[in-house]
Amino acid sequence: MSVADVAKSVIKSINNGDTLATIGLPATGFRDGTVQLATVLLGKKLGGIYITTSRPSSHITAELEEAKADLSDLYFVDLVSMTVGGSTDDARTLFIESPTMLESILLNISLLERRLKSKRRFVMFDSINGLSIYSEPKVLKEFINVLGNSMRIKSIYTMMMTVEEQTDGDLAAALELLSDTMIGI
Amino acid sequence: MAKKDVTKPVSLDPRGGRPREKCVTHIEGIDRILNGGVPVGNIVLLAGTVGSGKTTLAMEFLINGAKNGETCCYISVTEPSSKMLSNLQTYGFFDDSLVKEGKLNIFDLTVINDRLGVERLDGTYTAKDMEALLGAFEDIVDELGVTRLVVDSITAVCYQLPDRGSIRNFIFRLSQFLSTFGCTTMLISETVVDSNVQTYSIFGVEEAVADGVVLMGNIVRQGDLLRSLQVVKMRGAKHSRARHLIELTPVGLAVVPLLKWGQDGGQAFT
Repeated sequence: MSVADVAKSVIKSINNGDTLATIGLPATGFRDGTVQLATVLLGKKLGGIYITTSRPSSHITAELEEAKADLSDLYFVDLVSMTVGGSTDDARTLFIESPTMLESILLNISLLERRLKSKRRFVMFDSINGLSIYSEPKVLKEFINVLGNSMRIKSIYTMMMTVEEQTDGDLAAALELLSDTMIGI
Repeated sequence: MAKKDVTKPVSLDPRGGRPREKCVTHIEGIDRILNGGVPVGNIVLLAGTVGSGKTTLAMEFLINGAKNGETCCYISVTEPSSKMLSNLQTYGFFDDSLVKEGKLNIFDLTVINDRLGVERLDGTYTAKDMEALLGAFEDIVDELGVTRLVVDSITAVCYQLPDRGSIRNFIFRLSQFLSTFGCTTMLISETVVDSNVQTYSIFGVEEAVADGVVLMGNIVRQGDLLRSLQVVKMRGAKHSRARHLIELTPVGLAVVPLLKWGQDGGQAFT
């Protein structure tokens, strides 16, 4: 499935009233795919929270700027920069000290949610596989369940980004059980 | 004519009854856990290990009350009030004007002791000293019209009392008059962990007399320390008994449910 097709499916899913989608992209082109997808949603005047577990938010911001995305209503929760000693000085980003502090993600989403101006909002979780490096499968599954249901209650369209090659059957089943739609999987 | 159905709907609330008036903490998540706040006039033991966030939570409780027009009071037992005030400046939710306007009052117990003439060389209060101290607390609450009080820490006060009976008596009498004045109080209890078990107090008496016990601690997750909070008891309130994660955010403390599998080796309080 091309990124353009994924973006179309996501828009359709939002228009259908879904709140939770699992999106699978191949490892090759995963980075470009997530940036393109975020750019499309921001272009549709959605406000968003981008949670990054795989690379520093400063890099994603640079890529989004290069893609000429509208960043006026986009915020970040960054689980990478503090861990690796990167820059943690950005007004649009909340930094989490360690990727093991999963509850902090929920807390920071709540804080950033208040700053979103757009009525239609999204959370892009990039990526579920990034968290699996630090958390045991049972912890990860519990977290996915809590995150998914928290976002459902808040009616924020949430995209669980997964790398196709790294998502085993067990994790995929947990995501399928929770999601309204599976895109690209 | 059909008979009018007068059957009352069955309440889904297992406790039923009328709720007590609540002292709303305005701390993100805490009021939800406490089903609206701490019942007015309750004495709550805020028990926790070092670095678990007891003082921060208690301070935010006072500051939020002061911001809402209440008169609040902090009695510092373990550090000078000047040091406490300079620490307060580092909190985004603190506002200097609350102190200037007399909404947030900070007292040193050592200064109170000096004025009462109850400072003893051996550090132990006599029965007369205890009476004088209780009288001083009562005067502060009564004269200033204090509705929120924090004693940081009650453990340090208890060390100056001669025995467990005196501790029980002191806290019981303190709670009696504070309750009469409708003053909601947090007594900070410094605890330790022994063989992975955290107690509520050093002397084992305070928790029995207090109306509420809130346990704070550190949980180890893959070497990282996470602050946790759990309400063990709260007289007059239906409350959550689940363990929560507590974090200092730019807008103050915030509480979220703790992941159940996210603890190393089960009960890992430190």
